[in-house]
Amino acid sequence: MLLKGKTAIITGTRRGIGRAVVETFAANGADIYAHARSDSPEFTEEMRSAADKYGVEIWPVFFDMTDGASMKAFVKGLMSDKREIDVLVNNAGVTHNALFNMTTEVTLREQFEVNFFSVFLLIQYISKFMVKQKSGSIINIASTAGEDGNPGKSAYGASKAAVIAMTKSIAAELGELGVRANCIAPGVTETDMLATLPSVVLEETKNSLDLRRVGLPSEIADTALFLASDLSSYITGQTIRVDGGLK
Amino acid sequence: MLLLKGKTAVVTGCLRGIGRAALETFAKNGADVFACCQREDERFAEYVLELSGNCGVSITPVYFDLLDEDAVKEGAKFIQKSKKSIDILVNVAGANFDALFHMVTMEQMKRTFAVNLFSQILFAQYITRLMLKGGGSGSVINISSISALDGNPGQLSYASSKAALIAATKTMSSELAPKDIRVNALAPGVIKTAMTDTLPEDIRSRMISKSELKRIGLPGEVAGAILYLELTAALDRRGGFRTCC
Repeated sequence: MLLKGKTAIITGTRRGIGRAVVETFAANGADIYAHARSDSPEFTEEMRSAADKYGVEIWPVFFDMTDGASMKAFVKGLMSDKREIDVLVNNAGVTHNALFNMTTEVTLREQFEVNFFSVFLLIQYISKFMVKQKSGSIINIASTAGEDGNPGKSAYGASKAAVIAMTKSIAAELGELGVRANCIAPGVTETDMLATLPSVVLEETKNSLDLRRVGLPSEIADTALFLASDLSSYITGQTIRVDGGLK
Repeated sequence: MLLLKGKTAVVTGCLRGIGRAALETFAKNGADVFACCQREDERFAEYVLELSGNCGVSITPVYFDLLDEDAVKEGAKFIQKSKKSIDILVNVAGANFDALFHMVTMEQMKRTFAVNLFSQILFAQYITRLMLKGGGSGSVINISSISALDGNPGQLSYASSKAALIAATKTMSSELAPKDIRVNALAPGVIKTAMTDTLPEDIRSRMISKSELKRIGLPGEVAGAILYLELTAALDRRGGFRTCC
């Protein structure tokens, strides 16, 4: 129970890494605002049963990350809830694989809108809560593509590199106010995004990993748990690769 | 919650500082520990007895000096004779001889590398063979330093030896990870230990003011990162990260 009594906001929780983070955080006693882009009865039901299973509160919240007005409305709702916000996990993101010269301006801008601008804005809003209470942990899900550069990932990788750079500046500004900010850079992880990779590429990549296997969303969630918990109280401004030894 | 119940760990540098904090964290989380120290110490033996009693785990002190290769081998063999399968190795023990680049002697360089690199590798060779023989998975954590990444005035031999340890970690990982032994390095920043207590006050306060959290780290906070590395499976090789900035 590393997060007993803490409240977390997690974006992009319908599936994949975000869903695993909800599960891991709930199992460790956190109350959670679980964000998804759009409302669905299944999602709400799944969140309710997870909350019952772990004896925590999970509030589903719905808004499009690129819709500033809805995001603002969510933040207003938070203010009236009057809870301390201890953890923010920015997980929601989009990817389009395309060779550099084939990348359209539309997908380039979309990836930056979702992966960078909306994350920037949400942190602006939520960090105010954290600064006021003089504690908090911000966790941004970046990508090894943001550090390494991979074929077909010029737009996605650039948007994640921007997230990493932003995180370092946030850490530098908010450290003395008691707020930590770190990135996780997942490598090849078993999610829907993985299905966008051609199978030949996937097989080749797997064999080049030190651990010779793709990562699980729950393994990314374990690192998010660490960064959210007091186990990491002296860690800020870092990017932790959870990549099975990706070369 | 006992996060390491049923696991056996080998930790070096347990007499004080980060090694002591790692020993405590492991014991409190249910792991049996071979607690390695440079020399026999009665108060340490008493402390270990009390800790193992309180936590209901077995803690075996092992004494060897990392400057003495034969003693390192003896220590490893002593652990081998216990016939316990080893899950975790944490190499914390290290030495620091501060000297400016133009002043550092070859003798200081060799001693630093003997302790911070050669003996770490020698000891890890023995212990990871035990892990492989046990057939199970294992994890090795080498404690490096942010001075290995950033450099630091007066720390030529220390920073170089710790940088070499990071390179060794990456190579060990690429060889051992396919056999299910994960190898990672941690790079602590300014942590309150005997090593930083000897730093001149102006240098220490300058280092702290450069840190974003504007405070010195505690050994227990590094132990928290060590515990985390034990709990996560996909993190590997370049998972080495800093505990301060």
